[in-house]
Amino acid sequence: MDGIAGRKTRLSWAVHLSVLALVLLWLFPTVGLFVSSFRTTDQIATSGWWKAAFPSVQNLTLRARPPSEQVRQGDLWVIEGDLFEKGKTVSVSRFGVSSRAPTAFGAGETAPLRKGGEATVDASGHYRLTNTEPFTGKRGQRLFVTAKVPPEFTLENYRNVLFDPKNREGMSRAFFNTLTVTIPATIIPILIAAFAAYALAWMEFPGRALLIAAIVGLLVVPLQLALIPLLKFHNNIGIGKGYVGVWLAHTGFGLPLAIYLLRNYMVGLPRDIIENARVDGASEFQIFTRIILPLSFPALASFAIFQFLWTWNDLLVALVFLIDSSGDTTVMTKQIVELLGTRGGNWEILATSAFVSIAVPLFVFFAMQRYLVRGLLAGSVK
Amino acid sequence: MHPALQGLLTILIGVGGCVGYFYFSNQLIDKVLFPPRGPNAGRNINRANMVRPWLFLLPALLALGLYLAYPVLETLRLSLTERIPGGGSKWVGLDNYRQMVNEPKFWEAMRNNMMWLLVVPALSTAFGLLAAQLTDRISWGNIAKSLIFMPMAISFVGAAVIWKLIYDTRPVDQEQIGVLNAIYLALGGDQPMTWLTIPFWNNFFLMAVLVWIQTGFAMVILSAALRGIPEETIEAAIVDGANPFQIFFKIKVPQIAGTIVVVWTTITIVVLKVFDIVFAMTNGQWQTQVLANYMFDKLFRANDWGVGSAAAMVIMLLVTPILVWNVWNARKEMR
Amino acid sequence: MKNVLYAGAAAVALLPVSAMAEQVTVFGPWLGPDQENVEAVLAAFAEQSGHDVRYTGSDSFEQQIVVDAEAGSAPNIAVFPQPGLAADMAGRGFLAPLPDGTGDWVRDNYAAGQSWVDLGTYAGPDGQDDLYGFFYKVDLKSLVWYVPENFEDAGYDIPETMEDLKALTQQIVSDGGTPWCIGLGSGGATGWPATDWVEDLMLRTQTPDVYDGWVTNDVKFTDERVINAIDEFGWFARNDDFVAGGAGAVASTDFRDSPKGLFSSPPQCYMHRQASFIPAFFPDGTVVGEDADFFYFPAYAGMDLGKPVLGAGTVWGITADSQGARDLIAFLQTPEAHEIWMARTGFLTPHKGVDPEKFGDPTLRKMNEILLNATTFRFDGSDLMPGAVGAGAFWTGMVDYAGGKPAPEVAAEIQAAWDAIK
Repeated sequence: MDGIAGRKTRLSWAVHLSVLALVLLWLFPTVGLFVSSFRTTDQIATSGWWKAAFPSVQNLTLRARPPSEQVRQGDLWVIEGDLFEKGKTVSVSRFGVSSRAPTAFGAGETAPLRKGGEATVDASGHYRLTNTEPFTGKRGQRLFVTAKVPPEFTLENYRNVLFDPKNREGMSRAFFNTLTVTIPATIIPILIAAFAAYALAWMEFPGRALLIAAIVGLLVVPLQLALIPLLKFHNNIGIGKGYVGVWLAHTGFGLPLAIYLLRNYMVGLPRDIIENARVDGASEFQIFTRIILPLSFPALASFAIFQFLWTWNDLLVALVFLIDSSGDTTVMTKQIVELLGTRGGNWEILATSAFVSIAVPLFVFFAMQRYLVRGLLAGSVK
Repeated sequence: MHPALQGLLTILIGVGGCVGYFYFSNQLIDKVLFPPRGPNAGRNINRANMVRPWLFLLPALLALGLYLAYPVLETLRLSLTERIPGGGSKWVGLDNYRQMVNEPKFWEAMRNNMMWLLVVPALSTAFGLLAAQLTDRISWGNIAKSLIFMPMAISFVGAAVIWKLIYDTRPVDQEQIGVLNAIYLALGGDQPMTWLTIPFWNNFFLMAVLVWIQTGFAMVILSAALRGIPEETIEAAIVDGANPFQIFFKIKVPQIAGTIVVVWTTITIVVLKVFDIVFAMTNGQWQTQVLANYMFDKLFRANDWGVGSAAAMVIMLLVTPILVWNVWNARKEMR
Repeated sequence: MKNVLYAGAAAVALLPVSAMAEQVTVFGPWLGPDQENVEAVLAAFAEQSGHDVRYTGSDSFEQQIVVDAEAGSAPNIAVFPQPGLAADMAGRGFLAPLPDGTGDWVRDNYAAGQSWVDLGTYAGPDGQDDLYGFFYKVDLKSLVWYVPENFEDAGYDIPETMEDLKALTQQIVSDGGTPWCIGLGSGGATGWPATDWVEDLMLRTQTPDVYDGWVTNDVKFTDERVINAIDEFGWFARNDDFVAGGAGAVASTDFRDSPKGLFSSPPQCYMHRQASFIPAFFPDGTVVGEDADFFYFPAYAGMDLGKPVLGAGTVWGITADSQGARDLIAFLQTPEAHEIWMARTGFLTPHKGVDPEKFGDPTLRKMNEILLNATTFRFDGSDLMPGAVGAGAFWTGMVDYAGGKPAPEVAAEIQAAWDAIK
């Protein structure tokens, strides 16, 4: 008996550990993005995000004050100052005065300058340039330092993406525009699909089986096919690019899944309730609104979450059917992609904007996931 | 007007219009056209019952026909025509298809798509099954499930950024900020790799993104199916002395075979439509082209609508077996 | 009586504005700093004309303008980064010819006016040639960017000839440095920076006639003269010692990211060949002319081909004709429209009537000198080729080449793409 019990605990440990490994593996990419969004440009560029909590050694190019600020001390011309802000615990290990040898000197040593004079940088980042002749030129001397910089987290990236005066207007407008797109694009297909699903599930009429088959078939049509014929159609009937168009498009593209999920769920509702209501003289419309809709809530909610996530994250449909050249109707994903285009190399902006774009869907997802799972199960498990 | 107010108003109009249609058209039938009263009450009820399903279905059918069925037909037509400069088009038969199959890029896309079709559904389902089985047995399984499921909520654009950070490459003398290169160097790799440009293998780095997203979906559904297996079956096997692995592979997996097929095919459909990931991460360079991106390229960059539409039809053709299977299943269910 | 008078006066005051004021939508490829620049120009136009002017930018401009035009929801004015795409669209009837007299104006007021007219003249849907494109904002491409202090530290001189440049490249390697930063990444347009390299090297190894023939495909891509130019690019880009991160990193490095290597410590590279707009992507606070500077991408002393210069420009075309769109094209002919952007950054113009004193920084004046010293000026060839080649096969071909594919194979594939659309 002991042997079996021992094997059991060992097995359950193995299970715990492998689930933990799996979860960490799946979480890892997102966490990397999250951590990066709170780091400064220099830090992201010089150390991996997994080292964010530790001091990092960075090679920095900094400038002394310009010759115009030199002072005369005895027979020396002196430029003096601090490379880092006060209060930052930085320790400089090496420094250099030429890009050829940026680590030539230890902190506190004296380095000869190419144009005459000498320079020294101490461990705290305090520097002193001296010369018997006045310093010339417009720009300050470049100082290359290798410094251990403490970990630093910042909200600056979020401020830049969300509240920068140049961006802010665009971002807040995009936020409201996205809501204007997503809410009707979520509710309208649900309404339409619920009625259709009810008809397909509980009403007798010729051609029902064929219709169900056709709708299932439409589940697999690639969306890209539809873009140009439909935009043409929108322009022909005069709605052009705009909210109406994007609502209709999202409705059309979301319907097959909605009908499929909802019908599967509604078929499973108990037959007696509906028959009884019919016998009691309730009209079909009443049965639908008073009985079917409340009972189907989990399926409705799960599809709503799906459709919400999909419309919120969508870029292609919005680009084609909504965003016109007046620029008034931009959405979040478009705004993010533009940031990517203009700030392509800046990881801190990329990470922050990507996180901004996924924050709302993640919130909705965690708040509603109970329904999502329930509705999904109704749709696909018999 | 404040954009929020404007948004609210448009939302009200849009949703209100929809509710209004269903309410008033029902009223129209019940009260005006076929009132279940008076001399023709019986006949009216029958007629109303004949009309009502179509009334309920009408908006859905219109939307489906217009937004999905019509584009398919239109694309079929475009794939058989060639546009003439200055407007209009002429019938060219299968010329576009012929031109397409002569392009090496098309076969590259086909080859890659086939690999995607094999690898992504298989891995997603396998990982999903593993996660489902393991999380079902532990106390914090639900938390684990939602964390694994989370990537479903992330847009493809966001996912592309996340994974680009993982695959990032820095020159050899700098510290690596991409996890993969950091690990590779720590394990003794001699120099950092630019993962996305290694032909053939880079496809797998792209697939990893989709597997990461789709595993949660597979897990949720399979986990429910596993719970649906009757306790007695498993208890009987334990009494017979089966070990946990035998129980899993010989008893549980066969029991949920149907659900596994559903998950597999659903992910297959997602794979066939995959476009955003490739577009955002490599745009089909370094031999990572896939059909959907190839089609987009032909349509909007080369302005070759004939070949673009032909590529779209190939995607439809690849989907067809799944479509037929789905339809066949739905009909079986009806009987 | 008084009331009537007032009403009359009000009507008169309102008339010019209300009768003409309309929304003018402009769609272009500029985002970020350049978007602010173009908006400053458009704001001046809006103020003068009373029109409501809207600009939107997109980095997938090439695809989006096609979708919009096909579906009939085009903006009033489209700003094409490539004349090739504008020519495509004109041929399909999506562009309206510019107002009569525009061609004469360009001929009279632009330096080398006729060539700008030729570049903007395309065959319409009926096959009739007409002026569809107006050039505004010119970029200079034959520039090599460097950090003067790094050159001073190492004791390097600015090379005057291609032979010197190649010698300097090898010198830097033997000094233990890396000479070049090259990045071809650009999202959906990945590969284009390499096409500029090849064009610049075409002009430095062949006569302008050969270049012109290549652009129209009279000289095939598979011609050995073209393959030679591609391999000249390979001399720089396919040598692990010559490029930061090694040859393998060239194709995947983002072009916006790659100049940053000039400024790192120690420098990842010493030189970066890129067009006049690139300072927009230098690290914040970089002062062009002091922290970073440029020199002319030199020609071979031994080839006797003079001092060729490669350039590009944006073409403004009318995609939805309206009075407002015509007014905007007319506004772009005023010196003021050019001087507003000149006072900012990254703007060169062939307009002869502008005041050179208006250039915002001395580097722009230096670029204009390069332009003036040029013995040959040629427009970016890939921009003139049909979209399927110049914005497709050529780009992907260069990515393949950077990845190690032999030049003849790459050239054959690009040529096949060109043959397919004939």
